Amino acid sequence: MIEMSLIIIALIAILIGGVLVGFGVHFVPVGGAPAAMGQAPGIATGVAMLAAGAGLAGLFGGALASPLGIAVALAAGGAGGGLMMAITCTMVNVIYVYGMGIPAASGKVLKDPITGDSQKEYKSQGTEGHGLPFISYVGGVIGGIFGGLGGTLIYYELLQVYTAALPAMLGADATAITAVAVSLAGIFAIGIFLVNSVLAAYNITGTIEGPHDPKFKRFPRAIVASAIASLVCGIVAILIVVV
Amino acid sequence: MSVKIEVIEGGTPHNTILAAGLVAAIVGIYLTYVNVIMNTTAFAVFGGLGAVAALVWGSHAVKRLASYGIGTGVPSMGMIAFGSGVIGMLLATKFGLAAPIAAIIIGAILGAIFGGISYYILKMHIPVMIQSMTELAIVGALTLMGFCAMVTGRFTFDILAKGTTAGIFGAVPDYSMSLIGGSIITVTFILGAIAIQHPFNACLGPSWKQDRMLWLAVECGFLSMIGLAVISFAFLGFAGVVLNLVVAGVGWFYAFAQYIMLSKRDAAAWLDMKPIVEPEGGH
Repeated sequence: MIEMSLIIIALIAILIGGVLVGFGVHFVPVGGAPAAMGQAPGIATGVAMLAAGAGLAGLFGGALASPLGIAVALAAGGAGGGLMMAITCTMVNVIYVYGMGIPAASGKVLKDPITGDSQKEYKSQGTEGHGLPFISYVGGVIGGIFGGLGGTLIYYELLQVYTAALPAMLGADATAITAVAVSLAGIFAIGIFLVNSVLAAYNITGTIEGPHDPKFKRFPRAIVASAIASLVCGIVAILIVVV
Repeated sequence: MSVKIEVIEGGTPHNTILAAGLVAAIVGIYLTYVNVIMNTTAFAVFGGLGAVAALVWGSHAVKRLASYGIGTGVPSMGMIAFGSGVIGMLLATKFGLAAPIAAIIIGAILGAIFGGISYYILKMHIPVMIQSMTELAIVGALTLMGFCAMVTGRFTFDILAKGTTAGIFGAVPDYSMSLIGGSIITVTFILGAIAIQHPFNACLGPSWKQDRMLWLAVECGFLSMIGLAVISFAFLGFAGVVLNLVVAGVGWFYAFAQYIMLSKRDAAAWLDMKPIVEPEGGH
């Protein structure tokens, strides 16, 4: 059997990781269908797709770096998620500006909080803004970093638990079960990641412009929700080696 | 928020689909246990059929929840269904012969908690929220278990985690050759998640018809089964693989033909639209 301290540390880490994922979603400029038609700012898809694309990129990056220790793994996860979002945001704006011929303008603020650029003049009538203003771009990268960090933290701690517990459970030596431990930790991390990102998506009712959006202020309740959901998922994920 | 944009008119009531899907999925998954009794792999295909039944129920549950205009897009529902489903299913596989029942119970607990979080903490005041999230988590867990049973012929953790590879002195255990160790579970996850959300995502709108969407769900389920039947080459004997491939192929073709026929029927209904009349004194 595995030590209680390892389980408690893992549960706390999963809780923190889940909260990071849920909090990170609030930064990402999710535009949904209106954004695809150039009628609202943000990346033109839903949270589920962005989470699967950007967040899991960070998670996989962190997972690959996990043999080098938790610090390197977390750094790689955060960098992977942030980098993926940076590339996505850049290409989204390239397509908006050069493909659809629309400038980036926020509908929620008069001035970009970072650059101070005026937004109102560029906003078309009848829309809520369009394209990806600088603040949304920065929000996307921050959200990607949080998502990658959270996903990697969940994966890393679950991997520690499984590496410790699986040899006794399956009656094999530690090197033989590495594949099972990695795969189990990976699929549980993906599951917990998706649950948290969709719950956070419910909190922002599907779309958000970024950290300057008034909906961003709803994040405290998403943190409570993510904490509970991650704890429940974490308990189930650890029960598999205890039962 | 929470304004119902579409109502279910006519067709089979949701509870009937729920009951039929649940029973068919359980029976299908348990039929794969005949493999153990008769020492064969030919019954693996029933796991896939059970998963298809669960997916049909799941696609209707997605429709029921998504028709409230939830705002996050239909695919997110497939993702949370399988995100919670995979967590419940993996724990359930530890319960041996009771695994399918355990999958329902653990899935229901997880789904109810996530539904409660959405309703009470995130203030998504949708009447069917808790029930739908519960159903979706159960569907996710049962579909995954059915597909895993189809690929490996078994549904218990020790088999799903333990594979064999050919050694000098016969087969030796190799954990990286198993369904979980080889990360086949991840492929199964995404094949199921796409199959559950696509039917309503493709059929939603004013011309939504229940039979067309459900046939598309059957088609998506069998399409995922074809992919998994190919994967099952690595785990099953000849009889099991051939049955998997044939049933998946024939089922997919029949369901696809049905779906095309119904699409043509509903497309013809739209051709009867009257042209838009110009208002008096218009431009």
